[in-house]
Amino acid sequence: MSAEAFVLNLLNGLSYGMVLFLLASGLSIVLGLMGIWNLAHGALYMVAGYIGWTIAVHLGMNFWLAVLLGAIAAGLIGLGIERGFLRKLYRQVNEQVLLTFGFLYILTNLSLWVWTGRFRVPFTAPALAGSFIIGDITYPIVRFEIIIIGIIIASGLWWLQERTRIGAIVRAGMDDKEMTMGLGINLDRVSMFTFLLAAFIAGFAGVIGAQFLGVYSGLGLDMLLPALIVVIVGGMGTIQGALFGAVLIGLIDAFGRALFPQLAMFTMYLLMIVILLVRPSGLVGRRI
Amino acid sequence: MTIAELKETMRQQPWQVLLIRFAPYILGLIALVILPPFFSTPIQGIWTKFLIFAIFASSYDLAYGHTGLLSLGHAAFFGAGGYTIAVLNLHYGIDSLWIGLPLGILVGALTAVVFGLIALRVLGPFFLMITFALGMLTFSIAWNVRWLNTPGMQGITGVPLPDLGIPGFSWSTISFYYFVLIIFLLCFFLVYRIMNSPFGYSLRGIRDGEPRLRSLGYNTWLHKYLIIIITGAFAGVAGVLYVYYYGMIVPAHLAIGTSFSPMIMVILGGSTTLLGPVIGAAVIEFVGYFASIFTPERWPLILGGIFVVTIMYAPGGINIHLSRLWKRLGERYGSVKS
Repeated sequence: MSAEAFVLNLLNGLSYGMVLFLLASGLSIVLGLMGIWNLAHGALYMVAGYIGWTIAVHLGMNFWLAVLLGAIAAGLIGLGIERGFLRKLYRQVNEQVLLTFGFLYILTNLSLWVWTGRFRVPFTAPALAGSFIIGDITYPIVRFEIIIIGIIIASGLWWLQERTRIGAIVRAGMDDKEMTMGLGINLDRVSMFTFLLAAFIAGFAGVIGAQFLGVYSGLGLDMLLPALIVVIVGGMGTIQGALFGAVLIGLIDAFGRALFPQLAMFTMYLLMIVILLVRPSGLVGRRI
Repeated sequence: MTIAELKETMRQQPWQVLLIRFAPYILGLIALVILPPFFSTPIQGIWTKFLIFAIFASSYDLAYGHTGLLSLGHAAFFGAGGYTIAVLNLHYGIDSLWIGLPLGILVGALTAVVFGLIALRVLGPFFLMITFALGMLTFSIAWNVRWLNTPGMQGITGVPLPDLGIPGFSWSTISFYYFVLIIFLLCFFLVYRIMNSPFGYSLRGIRDGEPRLRSLGYNTWLHKYLIIIITGAFAGVAGVLYVYYYGMIVPAHLAIGTSFSPMIMVILGGSTTLLGPVIGAAVIEFVGYFASIFTPERWPLILGGIFVVTIMYAPGGINIHLSRLWKRLGERYGSVKS
């Protein structure tokens, strides 16, 4: 592999990894706090992508407005799922997981209904549409922008979780629910805001990721699967775990596609199984 | 109720009471035997598919409802059974039922032997994920290995109906239906025996309190491992019948969407009951058939909706409500006390 190809794959892997990170961070924190896999997470991502497309391309409005509205819409849908359904199945973990699976079906099919099955090509803000030319390498600006946004969001989330009172409450909730509630903390409210924030970030990722992935009907499941692997590999409940896992999976995906295109998917699932067996708490996750 | 209790009940109660009590089973059996020939050929096919998935769902319930193992990888066993038949036909030209069915069951069970060893090393939400990953791993194997695909396409097609080895015999839709019905009844009886055996009781013990069973000296790991293998064998049967009936299998039959089918049937019909998964399979297959006539594109939406509504508002599934209704009718008209 030539140096140019190496750099290109590195950047591809990092930018894809950052989108995965945005998705996986929410999955991971929800899993840590509420003990459930939100299988509808990828569907929220996809719905936000469609909403972003409608605003930015169909209506021709500002791209960043599209990002914001897509994220808000996903956040509201997530809030609805949590308030209307998940909360009422308190402590029935199996039922909660199955419920989110049901919502994956519902949201995927509803968006197919509204937006039809046509593939939506990647879209972005006009200022970001071009490419950098460095030496022999031509590289789209959006990929750099996504890497930078990913790093900013990751730092922000890390600060929120590790350095603020809110983060301390969430971490306490992950470690010991009864004790946290005993201290007078309304864990129900905390779960609600965590779920809302996770859904909001998934929606944000949906429009951000659409800049190079586009939007299509199977996107929800296509993004959910690698995001689940990221959470398993990185470890649940921490931002740094999700970031580490996402970058690792992003790079494996990019280099795997370049070097052994047949085996890319296989390698990821195999890695996930090995990690689950050897270190179920993930490479940098919280102890369970 | 165990076999002994069943015999005891049969001895004590007058026959009228017994008739009312077992009427759902008797009526169900009569319906399964008599009704299908009166329908058109496509609908006879739906009856067949319903029974195939009833086998799959009943076995899935042994793991999910009875043992509390929520698995997203059961499609791999189903697909393993199916691929066995397809590969036998594609590479060896073997269509005999007497080779295909036992081998399909064996491959389904062997897949479960491997899966169980790996998956049971982790607990709770991680079990869910590892079964899911294993399922997707088999999916990517089936997708990439050329031996498992008809040249030039994904999956294997053109698998004929099984050869029974009876000279002069040829299949029709209805005769294949009765063949599936016989296998379904056998499986149903086996599931019933497993549910009501001491083994079945300890499975439910594991679901309700595994540490307690372990402290009583049960090898809970072995119990869970065995039930995964058993469900693997049943799923293999369903996969074999499915491939015979549709004549094809694709990698998606190993993936998460196929694992979803028995799950929703069990939950809709009522988990941890004998009839629940069968009722669930019937509702999903028949509603699915009619929905696909009117709005084929909206079927996943309806399916997801049914799923959510069942979990939220009818957590016991349909079967509980039906049996309550039956009991109330019995009390009113037949003075059955149970």
